Amino acid sequence: METGSAPAVQTIEVTKVYRSGHVDYPALRGVSLKIGKGELVSIMGPSGSGKSTLLNIIGALDPPTSGRVVIDGIDLRKLNEDKLALLRNLRVGFIYQTFNLIQRLTAIENVEMPLIARGVPEKTRKSRSLKMLSAVGLERHANKRPTELSGGEQQRVAIARALVTQPALVLGDELTGNVDSKTTRELISHIVRINKALGTTFVLVTHNPDVSNMTHRVITLKDGLIEKEQYLKRIDSYTGL
Amino acid sequence: MQVFDMFRLAFKALKDRKLRSLLTILGIMIGSAMILALIASSSGLSAGVQAQIGKMGANTLTVSAGRSFGPPGGGGGGQSTFQLSQDDVNTIKSFQGVSDVIPYYSRGVTIALGGTSTPATLTGVDLTELFKLYKGLSLYDGALPDPYDPSAAAVGYGIAFPSEANGTQLASVNGMISVTLENSKLTFLVRGILSQFGSAMFSNIDDMIFISPQAAQILLKTSYFSGLYVITDTPDDVTVVQQHIESYYGTNVRVMSPSSMLSSVQSITSQMTLYLASIGGVSLFVAAVGIVNTMFVSVMERTREIGILKALGYRRKEIMGMFLSEAALTGVMGGILGTLFGYALAYMMGGAFSFSFMGGGGPGSRGGSSTTSSPVFTPELIVFSLLFPIGVAVLAGLYPAWRAARMNAVVALKYE
Repeated sequence: METGSAPAVQTIEVTKVYRSGHVDYPALRGVSLKIGKGELVSIMGPSGSGKSTLLNIIGALDPPTSGRVVIDGIDLRKLNEDKLALLRNLRVGFIYQTFNLIQRLTAIENVEMPLIARGVPEKTRKSRSLKMLSAVGLERHANKRPTELSGGEQQRVAIARALVTQPALVLGDELTGNVDSKTTRELISHIVRINKALGTTFVLVTHNPDVSNMTHRVITLKDGLIEKEQYLKRIDSYTGL
Repeated sequence: MQVFDMFRLAFKALKDRKLRSLLTILGIMIGSAMILALIASSSGLSAGVQAQIGKMGANTLTVSAGRSFGPPGGGGGGQSTFQLSQDDVNTIKSFQGVSDVIPYYSRGVTIALGGTSTPATLTGVDLTELFKLYKGLSLYDGALPDPYDPSAAAVGYGIAFPSEANGTQLASVNGMISVTLENSKLTFLVRGILSQFGSAMFSNIDDMIFISPQAAQILLKTSYFSGLYVITDTPDDVTVVQQHIESYYGTNVRVMSPSSMLSSVQSITSQMTLYLASIGGVSLFVAAVGIVNTMFVSVMERTREIGILKALGYRRKEIMGMFLSEAALTGVMGGILGTLFGYALAYMMGGAFSFSFMGGGGPGSRGGSSTTSSPVFTPELIVFSLLFPIGVAVLAGLYPAWRAARMNAVVALKYE
């Protein structure tokens, strides 16, 4: 991977050990990788291989037991809890298998949430959120609650929410796990389009070959280690390189 | 994150759990209303009692025969064979610091007016002296009765214009009134009507029929007085004169001064206020426990949401702020509703908060007297009633909010 500046994500010998009682369960056992800006990467592997753990660590939600994580040139070890939260707000977007929308809020209110944390004035955030909902084809459903939307629509709301702050990095954890194949294709096309248009870096944990096949690179984890890396496509249309 | 957004989201969260929020607010409301109503009522009562006592000059003592809190024939205490005579008037007049002694006769009577019988007090006293004693008391109509005419009387405003008659005048100047005194009927010619005055020292002046002391002596067939007003040279002499009378007569007389009455009433009412406010405080404490419970349930139910907020970049203090805003809003709504409800409750409780003072001082107080009053709402009390529940609610929400803010994001996101 050629990068003209710091990579979007870099992990150096990252380990994560979960402890239950007196027993240690290693989830990651020294993962080192670099993901370039604008790259669309999928992480695959069997259950328990450490995919979600790695994603949470890259997203600054969970600290590694050892090793370093550098996001956009920022070493996460040097950040306190508040600064990590700020980094998540400004630079990282999350998309989850279960959508993780707040049920009592409407679609547009859900999309607004990261902007509220940032203190963006109501008028600005409303227009930005609506624009983002339009980008995923949901402007007509802006005032609907998640329960009034289909699974695919809910996931598109989640994508809009992840992108509304224009983060450099978006992390997806099995984002097509709860939708049918037609919706999966729609979601993939949205992500590819955004990746190309905005140069957003995507790291997607998936079991679905349809998802991994459209990424630039597939990283396969096994037992907490990178088993293999496979480049599928050249990155020729992203910015920042 | 802007504070307004914090409260907006908090309001949405409360709205989402309407019934639970309403019940929590109800708890706060009851606590707040109880405190406000009880404090306002007891403050009102205290103020009412003080106003009554204050109507009598600060340099006046009342002396009645009998042991403490037990006038002769009264409803409040022990009996005494001692009786006050003209000799006692002269004796007390000779005490240093005493400027005048006004004796009075007093008997409970039944008066027939407008077809109904109502209790009243027949008082034999020199009205010109009484006017000096009770500032603001004067003749409303007619003239003072001739001191040597045993059938002439002046009546209190409440007898001429009973409240039950809705403003209709039932006794007028030169009219006759019939009074039953110890099974014998007496008829008086109304010579004058006194101005409206109300109660003073727990004697309702408005419900009295005044005759001259000479007439009273003839009608009541006694030369012994029911009591004496002792007027001192200055208010500073009151304590010394009181001690002097008490040491001279021992337990044969009961001496009361406005200041001693005031201090005992203040002591009683302040203790009562504290006691009643404590009851309100307990209910507010129970409400606070309710908030803690509701907040904990809310935090638990919204564990996943907290994880989402963390993933979206909300800082600990913002998450804590959101939950505290919910608690604060509960307090605000409970406080506002509690203040409104407390305001109404205080008036509803008005009748229940009468203050009985057995045999206070002066004629008509022999059988004990009671006073009811309007609750007193000071701006400080209203502000306290609004802010205190908010403070309690925020304090109650502090720990659950802190727990929410400290939650592990990854664990929270996995919470089912």
